[in-house]
Amino acid sequence: MQSFFKQKINIISLLTVTVFMLFNIWNIIYNTPMVPEQHWAQKIFYVHVPSAWIGFLSYFVVMISGIMFFVKGNDYWDRVSLAAAEIGTIFISLVLITGPIWATPIWGQPWIWEPRLTTTLILFLIYVGYFMMRSFGGHVERVKRYAAALGIIAFVNVPIIFVSVQFWAPEIQSHPQVEIAKQPSDILGPFLISLGIFTLLYTLMLKYRIHVIKIKNKVVANV
Amino acid sequence: MFLTLLKKELFIEFRSREVILSMLIFGLSIILVFAFTSNVSKVIVTNYAPGMFWIMVLLVTVLGVHRSFSYEKEFDAFSLLISSPIDRGLIYLAKWISGFIFLTIMEAIVIIPFFKFLLIEYPSDLLLSVVTTLLINLAIMSVASLVSGIAMRANLSEVLVPILFFPLVSPVVIAASKISAGIMAGDPYQLWQIWLLIVISIIVIFSLVGYTLFDFITEE
Repeated sequence: MQSFFKQKINIISLLTVTVFMLFNIWNIIYNTPMVPEQHWAQKIFYVHVPSAWIGFLSYFVVMISGIMFFVKGNDYWDRVSLAAAEIGTIFISLVLITGPIWATPIWGQPWIWEPRLTTTLILFLIYVGYFMMRSFGGHVERVKRYAAALGIIAFVNVPIIFVSVQFWAPEIQSHPQVEIAKQPSDILGPFLISLGIFTLLYTLMLKYRIHVIKIKNKVVANV
Repeated sequence: MFLTLLKKELFIEFRSREVILSMLIFGLSIILVFAFTSNVSKVIVTNYAPGMFWIMVLLVTVLGVHRSFSYEKEFDAFSLLISSPIDRGLIYLAKWISGFIFLTIMEAIVIIPFFKFLLIEYPSDLLLSVVTTLLINLAIMSVASLVSGIAMRANLSEVLVPILFFPLVSPVVIAASKISAGIMAGDPYQLWQIWLLIVISIIVIFSLVGYTLFDFITEE
């Protein structure tokens, strides 16, 4: 099987995403305004929110590919599902890391039971179980079906978790209720650019992981 | 067919009494531990009692569903069950409802020691407590049966079930604690009705998802 980066389109995509991401970092540091009272801490918003977007998008992809796997019975959807779960968990971990980094100077403590953060943490824990199932579950074909089912249940559960946590601690709503459209253009512009670049990065990562998982499955099948 | 499957679950259990007995003894042990570790004022224990009760129920549920699904692994009975010409979603429904019955029986027995050992008073509105507890039991079991159905035939199922079950059931735990705390404090229904709606939505969503997915999960 041909190496992923031997294909022209993939190497061009990699170079493009790298250049865009370097530009994005430079743009965030030098071209975005300092928000009074938050200073440098606010800059994490340009990474934190796109990471959360990619994390939830990725888990949505896990659910859709889980449904497709059941409907079509095609291994391709299992590979998409696993790749999306891996990448989603990386970005959800980033959310859980960057959230407290932002919260420590702004809220004065790294963690409060805010609905978005809590939902993210619960989803992260479900996916830890998901990977344990994938790793230790045993029978390969059965585990694919269990993982697809789990991916569907995990995402279906998200709105319920969110509403529960919201009503559980209504006094804790100190998450910046950012209404994106109302942001000044010098914040909105770089934010949307960052969101777009993160989405490009996600697409490339997903394609790459699907390719790697395909090779890995072939190797395992031949052993 | 559903009734036949349910009868099978109940028949096995009432002959061996393994699930209910193990849940009961485990539940009582947990209450004992709570009693030993909560030697504080009555007000504090009363505040924590709903949480303690539902923690006990969750731990007991893990033990119960694991045992209930383990039956099926012996002599590979589950393969025979799914090879029979039945709607596999009904297997999930039978496991769910039988689990609900076992859990309710266990709770009906341990509820008195729970209040007596922790030296707290019974809620004033007993009927409301019973109705809401039954609904919460249904919600807990709908999640537990689905998770157990998924993890049952995987390796390390005894580890995977609690790891997957606890985060998935967290909305039910929050709702259950809030409802019980509201009833114990004598709060009006309007103050905790949202939690009841959350419990009911979980019952509806998980029963539908479980019924639909079980057919795919159990495919050979």
